[in-house]
Amino acid sequence: MMSLSSNRAEPSPGYGRRSISAGLFAAAALCSIITPAAAAEDDKRGGIIRYGHYQEPPCLYAGWVQAGYIQRQYADNLVARTHDGQIVPWLATDWSISEDNLTYVFKIKPGVTFHDGTVLDAKAIVTNFERWLSNDPDKVNRNGKLYIGEYIRSVTAPEPLTLKIELARPYQPFLTVLSTYFFGILSPTALERGPKELCEHPVGSGPFAVETWNHGQNVILKRNPNYNSAPATAKHQGPAYVDGIVWKFLKDSTVRYGSLVAGESDAIYDIPAVDWADAQKRFKVIQDITGGTPTRLQLNTARPPFDDVRVRRAFAYVAERRKAVEVSFQGSIPFNANGALSISTPEHLKDLADSYPYDPDRANRLLDDAGWTARSRDGIRTKDGKRLTVRLLYAGGSLITPDGVSVLQILQDQARSAGFDIVLKPIPQADWFAGKGRGIDDYEAQPAYWVASSAEILKISWRPDQNGVINANNASRFQPPELWTLIEEADRTFDDKVRLRLYEDAQRVIVDNAAVVGLFPLTVSIASQPKLKDIWISSRVSEPVFHDAYFEK
Amino acid sequence: MSAAGRSALAPGPVVIWRRWLGPTVRRLLGAIAVFWAVASFTFCIQALLPGDRAELILNVAAGTFTQPTAAELAKVNAKYGFDAPLVVQYLRYLGGLVQGDLGASYQSHRPVLHIIAEQVPPTIGLTLSALLLGWIIAIVLTVPTAGRHDPLSRAVASFQVAAAVAPPYWIGSILLVVLAVKLRLVPVEGGSGLSGVALPALALAIPLSGFIGQVIREEFARVLDQPFVISARMRGMSDLGVRLLHVLRHAVLPGITLSGWALGALFSGAAVIETVFARPGLGGLLVAATSARDVPLVTGIIVASAGMYIIANLLVDIAYPIIDPRIKAS
Repeated sequence: MMSLSSNRAEPSPGYGRRSISAGLFAAAALCSIITPAAAAEDDKRGGIIRYGHYQEPPCLYAGWVQAGYIQRQYADNLVARTHDGQIVPWLATDWSISEDNLTYVFKIKPGVTFHDGTVLDAKAIVTNFERWLSNDPDKVNRNGKLYIGEYIRSVTAPEPLTLKIELARPYQPFLTVLSTYFFGILSPTALERGPKELCEHPVGSGPFAVETWNHGQNVILKRNPNYNSAPATAKHQGPAYVDGIVWKFLKDSTVRYGSLVAGESDAIYDIPAVDWADAQKRFKVIQDITGGTPTRLQLNTARPPFDDVRVRRAFAYVAERRKAVEVSFQGSIPFNANGALSISTPEHLKDLADSYPYDPDRANRLLDDAGWTARSRDGIRTKDGKRLTVRLLYAGGSLITPDGVSVLQILQDQARSAGFDIVLKPIPQADWFAGKGRGIDDYEAQPAYWVASSAEILKISWRPDQNGVINANNASRFQPPELWTLIEEADRTFDDKVRLRLYEDAQRVIVDNAAVVGLFPLTVSIASQPKLKDIWISSRVSEPVFHDAYFEK
Repeated sequence: MSAAGRSALAPGPVVIWRRWLGPTVRRLLGAIAVFWAVASFTFCIQALLPGDRAELILNVAAGTFTQPTAAELAKVNAKYGFDAPLVVQYLRYLGGLVQGDLGASYQSHRPVLHIIAEQVPPTIGLTLSALLLGWIIAIVLTVPTAGRHDPLSRAVASFQVAAAVAPPYWIGSILLVVLAVKLRLVPVEGGSGLSGVALPALALAIPLSGFIGQVIREEFARVLDQPFVISARMRGMSDLGVRLLHVLRHAVLPGITLSGWALGALFSGAAVIETVFARPGLGGLLVAATSARDVPLVTGIIVASAGMYIIANLLVDIAYPIIDPRIKAS
């Protein structure tokens, strides 16, 4: 993703090699403000968007993506990322990276203030970094720390509008990670008011400010009339066109879609599969496939029967996964065979998009080879008197939707014909977060996904256990040294071609070993009334963006 | 009462005081005991559930699974006092409860009392409207049809049986699609106005009306055969008049008893209905708090609901003698 940026690179005095200029974008932005289109811009002004969202977060500032959707409206990030993976200016108008890839110097946009009037300068950003990496549970951004904690050596503000970040080791995905919602910059003044105020009234510099949170109903977001820090990915600079957003929580899909049909909402999140076809006809539908890992079954390679790669492969061949996904989601979500990365991730290896097609004969042969030859009276295969049982644990209702569970049920049924006994075990979300069912001996398979921008997710999924700290995200327990070597090397390689090849090799190791079996990516869909224009979905974590949206008059 | 009646002298103030005090104190002590039991039970359940609370708090806040380090866990344990022995935690919790301090939510960090106070009014509004609506439907359907065996009356009786067993969630979804989405008679989203409460209240009221209707229908049929009913008819009173003025009063008594239970059932039904209709309220809050296992919040909601349940049953006890003075005499 750096290649596209470096094509336009201009040498800058301090740090030569990969200085990335924002000139083009700034020029484009300026043009859009001072062209005669200004009159047309006025036509776009006004109105309040009634947006029907899904879940209500318990806190408006958290690592969870449900809070991230709102954070995208009230906060700005240092940099933004386009859908094809370029890093473009946001609060940082320009930046340079030193020869050794260890020092980043950012020029911060002048004249930006937070909603509470606090000046957004390099010092304010340093405060944010200090909190993210803090050891205090009330301050730390665990999600963010997981990505960048080990790399950061220092974050300083040598000048009011110059931010300097020194890394301990080169980390190529650094800017990509900084573009994700959980690195939104908040007002240091507001941060001082403690965790309660941070949850209720987070203060950023974004196009909308949090006005009130009517718990159980909605969050009222008000237009920031002084907004001057839109990312280069935005369709226009300057304040939002609409006066605000009523961000409603409509958890039930009948109500959510019904509210759009009845005209009580201008836009809704997540179109239910049953209404997918209808929505295409009546409304404007946009959909984005999130990056990172798709929902995939992680097979526990640390214990039988999946410690044998033949059994894992047999399990992958045994079911018509593509068909199961198509049937369960009624065509609203694509199939994602390559379980290592989501199909929308730029580094996703297409060669693996057809891995392990439905092939029951092959599955049966593999199981015979692996010694699972005997059958119990109910047709389940056995070996040394042990049944071929797969306990498939999932956090139902939250991390996997009812439609997703229906995919699992189809798999369960088909795998049975080859002699697998699949036991579906739903675990409540809270128990899941508390660690229940995640012990190494508690399961044979677990579905999970993790939304991210690109292949930087591989580090999170496949980091081996270190010093007794178990990587809870590696539920496959698959940690051959060569895989980690590939990922670590890719993450520190700045040559795009070489890095891509390393990421691809890593995907091959994961898929060839059937450590995970791909199912479907997480998608974000928005349906809106035809008169509401220009809502877009940001890359790749897929938050809806309302800054450019306007009502056609 | 009977002792006082036999005495020729009027009872002295002390006797009256004692007579009033006795049952009241007993009732209050009973209520406190129930409170204590509910609070202790909730505490035990939450403390004994599998999994580590500190790990849960960290993971819910981050929205991800991570394996926190021992140092990170220790900080959270110290902050919330989980490092103290369970007995100490329990006593601290009871101490807070006595002072009206339910603690702060793990997730939003706001005082639990504020969060609950904010969500109680919509739930009370919903349950009371549902109760009222349930009674209206039950009486309208039962009074003209009880004790009759024509096809219409039998159809109504069967409808009440079906209504009683229908899950509110299902009724709610059907009402929503038909009345709100297709016919546009009421708004799809609940909202706080009168039109907003109509559908969710109806969804809760229909099964309840089935229960109440069945209970009063039997009693109604029994009372219809009583001598005083026959004598009222002989006085030339119309059938509807007899049913409304004489029989109904007797027949509603078992329904009133049921209403005390119904308030509790409506509270739990509200949890689902509030989520379906996107209404604010205690029910939706409880669902969210439980799924994140926000212990102080869950505990607070359960204790608050228990309180309201106790109050509802006290009201039923008071309502009884007003409707049937014979109860006061006995």
